[in-house]
Amino acid sequence: MENYRPPVGTPIEDLDTPCLLVDLDAVEHNFAIIADTYADTVCKMREHSKDIKTPLLARMQMNAGGTVGGVCTAKTAEAEAMIEGGIEDILITSEVPTADKLERVCALARRADVKVTIDDPRNVRLLSEIAESSGANVGVVIEVNTSMGRAGIRAVEHGVELAKLAHSLPGLTFKGVMSHQTLPGRPDKETRMIEGRRYIQMCLDVKDAIEGEGIPVEIVSSGESWSYDVAATIEGVTEVEGGTYALMGSNYTYMDEFERAGRVLGTVISTPRPGVAIGDVGHRALGAPGGVLPDFEGPAGVSVEALHEHHVVLRSDGPMPLEVGDNFSLLSGQSDIMVNRWDNMIGVRNGVVEVVMPITARGCHH
Amino acid sequence: MERPIFKPIGTPTEQLDTPTLVVDIDALAHNIETVHSFFREREAKLRPHVEAHGCPAIAHRQLASAGTVGGVSVSTVGEAEVFAQAGITDITVANEVVTAQKIARLCALAQSCRVTVAADNPRVVERTSRAAQDAGVVIDVLVDVHTRLERCGVAPGEPAVALARQVHEADGLRFAGLMTYEGAILTEDADERAAESRACIQRLLDTREMVERAGIDVGTVSAGGTHNYDVVGDMAGVTEVPAGSYALLDHRYAFRRPELKQAARVLTTVMSRPEEDRAFLDCGQKAIGADNGLPAVEDIDGAEIARMSAEHGFLMLEPEARDSVDLGDKVWLTPYEIGTTANIYDYVNGVRGGKLEVVWDVSARGRYR
Repeated sequence: MENYRPPVGTPIEDLDTPCLLVDLDAVEHNFAIIADTYADTVCKMREHSKDIKTPLLARMQMNAGGTVGGVCTAKTAEAEAMIEGGIEDILITSEVPTADKLERVCALARRADVKVTIDDPRNVRLLSEIAESSGANVGVVIEVNTSMGRAGIRAVEHGVELAKLAHSLPGLTFKGVMSHQTLPGRPDKETRMIEGRRYIQMCLDVKDAIEGEGIPVEIVSSGESWSYDVAATIEGVTEVEGGTYALMGSNYTYMDEFERAGRVLGTVISTPRPGVAIGDVGHRALGAPGGVLPDFEGPAGVSVEALHEHHVVLRSDGPMPLEVGDNFSLLSGQSDIMVNRWDNMIGVRNGVVEVVMPITARGCHH
Repeated sequence: MERPIFKPIGTPTEQLDTPTLVVDIDALAHNIETVHSFFREREAKLRPHVEAHGCPAIAHRQLASAGTVGGVSVSTVGEAEVFAQAGITDITVANEVVTAQKIARLCALAQSCRVTVAADNPRVVERTSRAAQDAGVVIDVLVDVHTRLERCGVAPGEPAVALARQVHEADGLRFAGLMTYEGAILTEDADERAAESRACIQRLLDTREMVERAGIDVGTVSAGGTHNYDVVGDMAGVTEVPAGSYALLDHRYAFRRPELKQAARVLTTVMSRPEEDRAFLDCGQKAIGADNGLPAVEDIDGAEIARMSAEHGFLMLEPEARDSVDLGDKVWLTPYEIGTTANIYDYVNGVRGGKLEVVWDVSARGRYR
């Protein structure tokens, strides 16, 4: 595993590289936006911890305010890591299809308030059997497909049938509905408002239909970093599943109220030809979904030309200002993929290390 | 850290907790035997580039099979530390190591094993020489020569000779020889592929001659990889080939290397089956390396991975595949790149005859520095 835990107080320029840095002022700024946005709203943040994978950061957001007092996780193993990190209210946002893992979910449900996503009656029956035989009670939330064509029910009536089934079976508590949506490109605020409302309404339609059958719907969990402000204005939404906003990635920089808090620090190891510098950060350490190149932070005029497994090729439009031994930073296109490649993140403030945070949910894809 | 449900030895493979990385031990043995036997009969030997799997248990299997130089190759000092701890005593860091902290770590390693490092910069050579003298060790240095891929390396010919001379004369260092990383050549036509490999390795061999004419003995000439081991391993003057992907293989190399078997795959489970033409797997980009390409589905006709998000694999199903994929079913994915995939896992399941035989640690996972 990755094992770098430098001393508190180490200046950034003395760090061994590559290493994953988190700018604490920036992440606290991002957490404060969430706390302000949801200070007086019914709707609150349920931070998606699949992005940060670090209980300490999740609790920083909870302490800052504006949250439901719990988090989302994508996986069962992540839920374990968050519960061990002291978080007691978890929504697992992926369907859990197999009996061995559902047993794990039920074991967790005896120690914390655990809710899991469902979209298939066979899966609901299996969960009910396991929950009943293990003496647990598991919350269930129906996933509604709104824009991605991914998991989730496709029609309102399927949602109603599934809610009736979950409501009637032992070992389960029907909690509500959720959806996750994406908006490609760099939408402006008006587009975000229109599209966000349209998608989230599809989730609310399922809620209304279920309530029409006399089944209470406590949770409507929808919206994400790009629609956190949209969801806050929609009546009926109880929580938002934002994740990227904490550390930010270049895919979301149009949300410019948030600051980029996560980056990988690198060192130039070679300047082999004029205008070229080679750095010690490759896509293994950074994650480059779809081959998207990272943003470069360093001297002006330098940009990323290519990313290999262990190396970045930097190109300068004039003479290369970087020399062997110089530092630079790379900012990933998608921060959750980057975080998942590391076991520790180094929190820095005023140019020095303040805290090293173990990424205890790294690799928790089970 | 990864937290699978660890199931007992003997568990049928398809009952393993998913998504999980599975190595077929017989296929691994086949690949090792196939490539190593090629080198047994030749002057050039293999130096397994073990960062491709990061797993000391597999490295020991490679070194136990004749045809190697008796040591391994890695990309970072951190990886070298892991393999040294695992008992390997001859390690090449096929990469430039430039900062004082890292050079100190290299010198510490050289107290207990033979350490070789790449160099392409006179100031770094000077710094390494001083550090090695201070530590009372000798570091072997390979002059890294640029032949094709835009990455590290001095120009072939006179610049490489000058650096070789500097290393040769520096205290605390031993000039070990020359290396290049030409980059994977994946051209479709085998003859073109071979010609391109030969052309760039020839630049390295020409430089070798120049260094020897300058009166400096060139012990090691290192070049090639899984994509061209048979071509480069046959060139007179090449002494070692640092191939890595051959042991486990991956989708990127599979169709260039029909003599090898796919030894590492990711076992996944269908977590949602919402529409006739699609299923969603519990394996996204956080559980398989997809930075440079999507994984392949080899054993279901009419099924392919259309895209991958962070947590989900999107399995597109043609009509002939629709009845064979249901909720809870297992689906095998062949990673596009084994290096980035192994680097996500902390454990790999070794299976034989469809049953779990051993769980190996991917000890070098995340050792980027």
